[in-house]
Amino acid sequence: MPLKPPSGNFPLWRRFLVCSSIIVCLGAARAETTVEIVHYFNVPGQLDGLAGIQKDFEAANPDIKIKLTYIPFADLVKTTLQMAQVHKPPGISCIDNPDVRFVAKSGVLKDISASVAKFPTWQDTYPGPKHSVTEGEKVYGVPIGSNSLAIFSNKKMLSDAGITDPPKTWDELTEDAAKLTKSPVYGLVFSATNTEESTWQFEPFLWSNGGSLLDLNATPAKQALQLWVDLIQKGSVSKDCVNWNQGDVANQFISGQAAMMVMGPWMLGQVHKSGLDFEVTPIPVPKEGEKPIVPLGGEVWCVMKGDPKVEAAALKFIQFVQDPDRLENLCNTFNYISSVRSVAKKQGEANPELEPFVLQMDTARARPEEGGANYTKVSLAARTAIQQAITGQATVDAALAEAANKIKPLAAKK
Amino acid sequence: MRQIEAIPARSTSAPEAPARGVLRRKAAWRSVLTSYSFILPIGIFGLLLLVYPVLYSLALSFRDATVETIVSGDMPFAGFSNYEQSLADPVFWQALENTVIFTFCSILFQFAIGFLLALFFQNRFPLKNVLIALLLVPWIIPVLTAANTFKGLFNEVGPINQIAHLLGIPTVPWLASPGFALAATIVANIWIGFPFNFILLYSGVCGVPPEIYEAARIDGASYWRRVGYITLPILKPVTVAVLMLGTIYTVKVFDLVFIMTGGGPANSSHLLSTYAYQVGFSIYNYGQASAIAMVIIAVILSLNLFQLFLQRR
Repeated sequence: MPLKPPSGNFPLWRRFLVCSSIIVCLGAARAETTVEIVHYFNVPGQLDGLAGIQKDFEAANPDIKIKLTYIPFADLVKTTLQMAQVHKPPGISCIDNPDVRFVAKSGVLKDISASVAKFPTWQDTYPGPKHSVTEGEKVYGVPIGSNSLAIFSNKKMLSDAGITDPPKTWDELTEDAAKLTKSPVYGLVFSATNTEESTWQFEPFLWSNGGSLLDLNATPAKQALQLWVDLIQKGSVSKDCVNWNQGDVANQFISGQAAMMVMGPWMLGQVHKSGLDFEVTPIPVPKEGEKPIVPLGGEVWCVMKGDPKVEAAALKFIQFVQDPDRLENLCNTFNYISSVRSVAKKQGEANPELEPFVLQMDTARARPEEGGANYTKVSLAARTAIQQAITGQATVDAALAEAANKIKPLAAKK
Repeated sequence: MRQIEAIPARSTSAPEAPARGVLRRKAAWRSVLTSYSFILPIGIFGLLLLVYPVLYSLALSFRDATVETIVSGDMPFAGFSNYEQSLADPVFWQALENTVIFTFCSILFQFAIGFLLALFFQNRFPLKNVLIALLLVPWIIPVLTAANTFKGLFNEVGPINQIAHLLGIPTVPWLASPGFALAATIVANIWIGFPFNFILLYSGVCGVPPEIYEAARIDGASYWRRVGYITLPILKPVTVAVLMLGTIYTVKVFDLVFIMTGGGPANSSHLLSTYAYQVGFSIYNYGQASAIAMVIIAVILSLNLFQLFLQRR
């Protein structure tokens, strides 16, 4: 079969059309920027929230594509750094707030202080979340939202035990937890496992008592740890809490094995689903009338250093999310408290279960305030002391003295 | 027939011999090449996924590799400081001690249970094959599942303590007390690992010719004498393999302990593997974590050499 010359059925005008359309396509492809967002969100509500924002943003900005990449929690920092190392950084990394300054130290995050200064929401951001992303004059990200800890109580168990109001002070907490303990039900459950979770759950008690991770040898820290040790020695809290992560803690509460738990708002959805009748109240304080100081959780949109075009697009995305309505919507689907005061207040008014968390936001503290980029090491030393004291391997004084010794050089290096 | 033809061919035409030799050498060469081409893929994978990472890890262990330096890529040479830092940490020694205890106890019981079961299954009885299949279940179940199940069993108010309570035995919060957490993980690991020992030893036991037993029985040897003087010596090669593989598997156990105790409470059940993980991915000191990983390799190698030495004697 002889080959026909292409021009036979391919007239000039058609060729021209094909060529020009290819050029147009190339041009369009070039104009399009892709912002990859790496994150570890895996709860359905959170994924819906992210997908919704992605859709809205892409509709409003047809020249920018958002690509969401899931990475397991434990690998996020590692993967973010690896991607930067091989010069393929994502546009945005959703970093857990205590890790932000630590990652920033490696120089992969972009200082976006000039841009955020123009965001109206930035002026209205609570001091705690602001602190977690700020190093001197530099700002390394914008909080997606915040979470913290409060007390969840099983209403039926409380009324059965003749308790009208959930505990507000340490004395009430100890007393109520003992009253609520009836084998096999424990009065209270918290997480004291060998991960950051135990330091995080201990901090509300430590900080509300005026203590500090950098001063564990002082009385406030000793009193706070003694509170935990006493609760466990009296049998009001299961000794197994040293192996329970926060997921296990929530399971204990939901399955009716514990009457109260120390937990954050991200679990609200799951507790609701179980159909349990419960209420949420602020963390008990040492003496009545004092304000609880809770640690701040929550992730941060961090712009990674890379292609300036991608950086600009990433900033555009972050700015887009800062619209108050969108922010409220996103935080509600995440079960987070907005880091922006006016938005958080609205959330609290609309949802009584979020209200205790909103109330605690004013005094909430960013974890790296103690130890800065060395926070992870400080936390490791602190939780070893917590476990030693709880399991009776060392006295409260001895365990804390040892931790304080380990923390001293870390705090100095800051 | 062929031999008869071949002999004159070899003896008569001398000038042809070199050509034939070349051909034969070529054929031999080709067959060698064919053989190597079969192991080429695994060789490449081995180099890329085993040799390279180990060498990289070895290199890292002599460098100051933290989050900051690994991104900038300069990672200054640090000599033995990562090793010194590890050796100065009491948790390291605790983890090393735990690893040795964990490995020794696990292997001892896994082997003993596996061996006794193998002897038991030498007998014929109904449902034997079904039972063998059931015994393999612990080896098949994912460690994640097994570890979480044991975590529940060893719970302070879990089934084990409930039974102990019914029997009037004093109960302990297994995983929550520094003195018992390691023991609980060892029990779990024995359960997971004994089928591996059993199935290899059982296949070995099956290979012992029954005539030898019969002869011994006629000579009046008791059952345990037969086990000691016939079964064990014949099983020696299998035993070496089982102990060697078992040691390697056990020293590098990570997931089981990580899930059950996370190395806690208060570092009491850290193995070298979980300790290396904590140093590497909890406080991001990659250099020191690599140094600990090198120690793990050294422990495995030395234990295996020790076993070989025992076997030689």
